[in-house]
Amino acid sequence: MTAALRIDGLHKRFGSRAVLDGFSLEVARGEVMGLLGPNGCGKSTVLNIVCQLLQADAGEVRLMGEPLARLGAAARARVGLCAQDCALYPDLLPEENLNFFGRLHGVPAAQRRARIADLMERFGLGPHAATRVGRLSGGWQQRLHLAVSLVHRPELLVLDEPTAAVDVAARLDLWRLIEGLRDTGTTVLLTSHQLAEAERLCSRVAVMQGGRVAALGTVPELLSRVPGQSVAAVQSRDSALTAHRAQRLGWAVRQRSGQLSCLLPRHFSLREVVDALDGPEVSAVSVRAVALEDAYLELIGDGNGLE
Amino acid sequence: MRARPLLLEQTLAVSQRLLLEQWRQRRGLIFWAVFPAAMMVLFGLVYAHNDSMRAGLDAAAAGILMGGALFFSCLGGTVAIIAAERERRTLRRLLASPLHPAAYFLGVVSAQLLLAAVQVVMLYAIATFIGARYHGSLWLGGFILLLSVFSYVGMGFFLGARFARRSEEVVVALSAIGVPLLVLGGTFFPLEIMPTAMQRVAQLDPVLHMNQAFKGVAAYGLGVGELRFELSFLVMFCALSLALGVSSYRQLLVLDQRA
Repeated sequence: MTAALRIDGLHKRFGSRAVLDGFSLEVARGEVMGLLGPNGCGKSTVLNIVCQLLQADAGEVRLMGEPLARLGAAARARVGLCAQDCALYPDLLPEENLNFFGRLHGVPAAQRRARIADLMERFGLGPHAATRVGRLSGGWQQRLHLAVSLVHRPELLVLDEPTAAVDVAARLDLWRLIEGLRDTGTTVLLTSHQLAEAERLCSRVAVMQGGRVAALGTVPELLSRVPGQSVAAVQSRDSALTAHRAQRLGWAVRQRSGQLSCLLPRHFSLREVVDALDGPEVSAVSVRAVALEDAYLELIGDGNGLE
Repeated sequence: MRARPLLLEQTLAVSQRLLLEQWRQRRGLIFWAVFPAAMMVLFGLVYAHNDSMRAGLDAAAAGILMGGALFFSCLGGTVAIIAAERERRTLRRLLASPLHPAAYFLGVVSAQLLLAAVQVVMLYAIATFIGARYHGSLWLGGFILLLSVFSYVGMGFFLGARFARRSEEVVVALSAIGVPLLVLGGTFFPLEIMPTAMQRVAQLDPVLHMNQAFKGVAAYGLGVGELRFELSFLVMFCALSLALGVSSYRQLLVLDQRA
């Protein structure tokens, strides 16, 4: 089956700085693809090119098999964009915002009415129907923002850090809504700095570095690249001594934010780790399963390995 | 029922949204009405009070409408619309949508036209009460107003795209660039009392031709034949405004990314 989105060899420079350097990615239909990477790695540039807000210097983007360059402005009607900033009209009601963007996309009136009613219900906006958007809380605005990007039933939904500016409760709400979209087969390209978000929502994750994809796979595939099954976070007054002791046990050791992370080859209990590292310099130990953040740090080379 | 063509649907959507927002921002709407009404009352009373100036009342009323009211509401209003789209981040969403630049421009023009029509009725009601008269063809006057609104919106797009990134910059852009256009356009002084060099420069100012055309119809009852030059200039400037508006909308993206 043709990929929903196929990006081949994108290059983009801003002045003398190459932001994208042969970026390629394929997103299957109905897939939620996460795009992760440090600030400035080119994630937003990729999204801007896909949404036609920016032109690539070289390379090709195909939407449902058709080159974006040939589709021109028509491609904009097939993509939905939801960025972290709520781009809504604060003096209009939620339905009026939905209606406005539906009209811009040329959704016929009868379909528009049905879709607005459906989105208002699905996103739980009914109780706020008579409230101007500017008076809604950040979480509700972000819900509406997501709903607006769906009013024209896009074939590809682009989410640019959709939960970056909301509180924890609103974030969980939005995750549930995005999960609902995933379950109904919406193709999504999502960027995020929250690895838990990518872990929960994405079918596959691409990690970007240096303007290209450094690693691509499902979350379990990426986790398998971490040389360990669980992680012991250790605080020690003598990091070098503790690291040396861990390495003698055959554990990979990373120094992150002034703390040692020992990658354990199997699931260890806290007792086992404490006993293994036993020494007066160790002040605190915690153990957890390997998570996407460990894979991410391994992949982008921020692990500061001490092996 | 047949669906409207997309360009028309988008134009109407933009226009209705702007009018609805304007209606909901009641305070702004009050100032929008009070400012030109106060100008008309104050200038009108001064003209009506002095015997030597009374003959100029009809022209003054036309000038206040064109140079005072429409300048600030249509040109200033357009600059404010662009600045607000930027501040609210809706600009990026519009640019990512299939909204045609011409539909956005025409949507702003349509909304401003409706507001201008209300201002015309309001100001001429005041002017008539003070003693001013409208002498010429209503159709020709309406046509000149249409061309003027079009031109003001085009200039507003140009200024808004380049000089107004935030709401606070709207007043600065209007004062620095708009007010000289008003002065050169003969809003405050007649063209005849300006130095010759200034008069030549003023010929390039669309506000001058709007003022002269509308004053010609409203105050002196002139027809199409007598206003051929002004009307030709305004029609050409309207075409330029549309091009300016469309290219400014497209450039907004580039300008925003540079900011």
